[in-house]
Amino acid sequence: MSALVFAGVSKSFGPTIALELLDLEVTDGELITLLGPSGCGKTTALRIAAGFEFADAGTVAIGGSDLTRVPAHRRNIGMVFQSYSLFPNLTAVENVEFGLRTRKIDKVERRRRAGEMLELVQLSQFADRYAHQMSGGQQQRVALARALAIQPKVLLLDEPLSALDAKVRLQLRDEIRRIQTELGITTLMVTHDQEEALGIADRVGVMSNGRLEQVGAPSDVYSHPSSAFVARFVGSMNEFPAEVVDGTHVTVHGVAVPTAAAATGAAGSTATLLVRPEDVGVEGTGDGPTGLVGSVVATTFQGATTVVSVRLDVLDLLVSANLASSKTDHLHPGQRAAITIDGTRAVLEP
Amino acid sequence: MSLTSATTSAPDASTRRAPKQRRSWAWLGVVPFFAFLVIFLIAPALSVFQKALFDSDGNFGVDALKNAFTGQNRAAFVFSVKLSALSAFVGVVVGGLLAYTASTLRRPRWLRTFISSFSGVAANLGGVPLAFAFLALLGRQGLLTRIINDGLGVDIYRSGFALDSTAGFVFVYSYFNIPLMVLITLPAVDGLKDSWREACANLGGTSWTFWRRVGLPVLTPALLGGFLLLFANSFSAFATAAALTTKSTLVPLRIGFYLGGDFSSTGEQQLGYSLAAWMMIIMVVNMGIYYVLRRRSERWQQ
Amino acid sequence: MSASAAGRRRLSNVIVPIATVLVCAVYFVLPLIAMTRFSFQSIPVINLRWSNLTSRWSFDPVVEPFRDEQLRSAMYLSIKLAVATVFATMALLIPTTVWVNLRLPRMRSIIEFLTVLPYVIPPIALVAGIRVVQPHARWFLNSHYSLVPFYVVLALPFTYRALDAGMRALDLKTLVDASRSLGAGWGTTLRRAIIPNLRTSIVSASFLTATVVLGEYTIASVLLKPTLTQELVVFQQSNGQQGTAMSLLLLVATTLLLGVLTIVTRKRGGASVTPV
Repeated sequence: MSALVFAGVSKSFGPTIALELLDLEVTDGELITLLGPSGCGKTTALRIAAGFEFADAGTVAIGGSDLTRVPAHRRNIGMVFQSYSLFPNLTAVENVEFGLRTRKIDKVERRRRAGEMLELVQLSQFADRYAHQMSGGQQQRVALARALAIQPKVLLLDEPLSALDAKVRLQLRDEIRRIQTELGITTLMVTHDQEEALGIADRVGVMSNGRLEQVGAPSDVYSHPSSAFVARFVGSMNEFPAEVVDGTHVTVHGVAVPTAAAATGAAGSTATLLVRPEDVGVEGTGDGPTGLVGSVVATTFQGATTVVSVRLDVLDLLVSANLASSKTDHLHPGQRAAITIDGTRAVLEP
Repeated sequence: MSLTSATTSAPDASTRRAPKQRRSWAWLGVVPFFAFLVIFLIAPALSVFQKALFDSDGNFGVDALKNAFTGQNRAAFVFSVKLSALSAFVGVVVGGLLAYTASTLRRPRWLRTFISSFSGVAANLGGVPLAFAFLALLGRQGLLTRIINDGLGVDIYRSGFALDSTAGFVFVYSYFNIPLMVLITLPAVDGLKDSWREACANLGGTSWTFWRRVGLPVLTPALLGGFLLLFANSFSAFATAAALTTKSTLVPLRIGFYLGGDFSSTGEQQLGYSLAAWMMIIMVVNMGIYYVLRRRSERWQQ
Repeated sequence: MSASAAGRRRLSNVIVPIATVLVCAVYFVLPLIAMTRFSFQSIPVINLRWSNLTSRWSFDPVVEPFRDEQLRSAMYLSIKLAVATVFATMALLIPTTVWVNLRLPRMRSIIEFLTVLPYVIPPIALVAGIRVVQPHARWFLNSHYSLVPFYVVLALPFTYRALDAGMRALDLKTLVDASRSLGAGWGTTLRRAIIPNLRTSIVSASFLTATVVLGEYTIASVLLKPTLTQELVVFQQSNGQQGTAMSLLLLVATTLLLGVLTIVTRKRGGASVTPV
């Protein structure tokens, strides 16, 4: 059974449409991230799930029960906010047991459960500290413990890492995933950082302008983006002006590129071909297929891979190629090179 | 190696000396300011204590300070404290509510700016014109007095009301106490983050739960501080009171009484100075606690 | 049930604030209405009827008093005192705050504490202290302008904060260094580099000072100086209507000063109009 279901949820704020007919089913125990630029509606969707906003249309159901009109404090949902959500006048353990207190659980049991939760986020020794005595990362871990203490059916995370610095972000990200898997709790996380989204999710939902563009496993969304927006937003893309020949290939400045994406465009029309950097090959050359020749502008060594930037002569396009470092030893800035495009995973934008 | 350490240690010695010299020169820059304060503020304050503690023959004695609590002066202390506490309480409650309103009400959007600007102005009004305004409103010939008489058939003066009673003073003093409270409290209420409210709701708490367990506790230092500030403000107010009444029933008024007259008995005059001394002691204690509280509340405003 | 419970909760969140605002609005406006009516309508309250509500209104009560010699000179005195206090405050505080900000940042907390001292030593206690010294300082206290230094003290909490805030917003050190490196002496630096950049703070401090001085009653009344507020109290006793009208004028003037001040400083995040 689906733990969290959005069915036809729409929401507007005055003239602005924040959400348009959102349909999303989160299965039990799954971690889904909603990814998108600011204003895409992901936070609105989360807040509607939490009960801080009410949908104009559609329903929200958790564990089978319709919670669309239920006020926030009656839903059994845990939420972690972006920052500074710990109650400043209470210690860490008092914060964690807050939800248990409102449920009238007795003191001994409360303390025990709160202690367990702090243990889970590895902050037991901070139990008697106040928010202002903890770092941002520690505060968020306490916030997580607090949300989980009430044993919610669903866990909601509103950009929990964006206020933290890079190193802490990585640590906390993995910790969230570890805890989520350990407890098997259904989780919906909102973020604008695609590395985060792709890194820990079971499925990723890419949103834009109030609509859910694509939902799928991270590798799926990355390799088979369903639209140009998704293709561009998730990972980076090279954009080549192309002409659709027929259903099986296109030409980029006269060079034929076989690609299944050609089927999405009308024969003879012009379009843009979006190709991942890893699908672009670079060879140092004098001769080679004409038309896709240029000069290497820069090579950026990244360890296992190297990013090679080539400026094509005829198209005046800066192409980014991601190659294994062993294959790029011979490429230097200024050198002449030729590009090859592997169109298997390309996306066509008509 | 040894050459470099030799050359680096020498400059160290000289730079260690130079700052001390510079510091002693810089002191001179604030001497005018200090001198000014000493002459025109600290010296007068100290002379009050000197007069209160030493009689005309130069003998030290705390009798005058003790006698300040007898007779009419004792009544004045009681009245002043009662009035200031009550007036501060009203100011805290109404001012606090008004600050809460200004902070949380999103519509109309100009309301917050208006309340805040208005408070900035009204907190500094007071004194003579304010007293006259209230005389025109609630004096024996007051507009509201007449309206109540006609509308409700009640003659408030016959029922015992007077502008220089506790109720009257509290009513008048609120005019500058409420805005002052708004000014002091607005930053604190602004500091109540939305995420706390939402987190509380998310964890199952109602609005009441939030206020009881998070909101009011976090605001308490600010509210207490506000109370102290308003208390001090009310206790030391002279002009408004003087313009409202000819009787000397409050401590500031009694001080004025003693200062204004020529007293054959210097003992009586000394009483005036002890009252002033006591007033300063009360203010110092009051503002001391206020500062401690303010520092604590700032700690929670991340 | 759930929808209306949420609705009811939201309603009480709105009713209490709105009620507060309305009650306060009435409370703050009513005395002013009464004051205005009393000042400008020459009908005693007892004789007011619905029928004569709009009759016998005139500006005379606020124009007539200007013919009174004593009141006029009291007004001039207060205005002159206000101006003198503003100048004295600037002369004392601008160099001091510049100095503290430049050379003695550690003194800042001590100075801040000192500038709040006038609040702990209320005017009535201060004037008691002046009384003590009065027999020995008659030569000084006989002049009306002897009030000025004490008024500087009274306004200190407001004026120091206004100036200090403005100064902290400037990068004082760079400004001074730049000015000195171009050959300007301290006087010129102050005059042409620093002060023009402190315009808002100076204006705000001046307005606050003027408000304090114009409304000051305590010290003037004990020292028997014929300032505006002093004369108003006396005047009121003989001619209630005119006295009240003039007080209303003073109130309006003070409100205008503070109002303009609030608006001008709002863009910079607001100046401090509280002493603490």
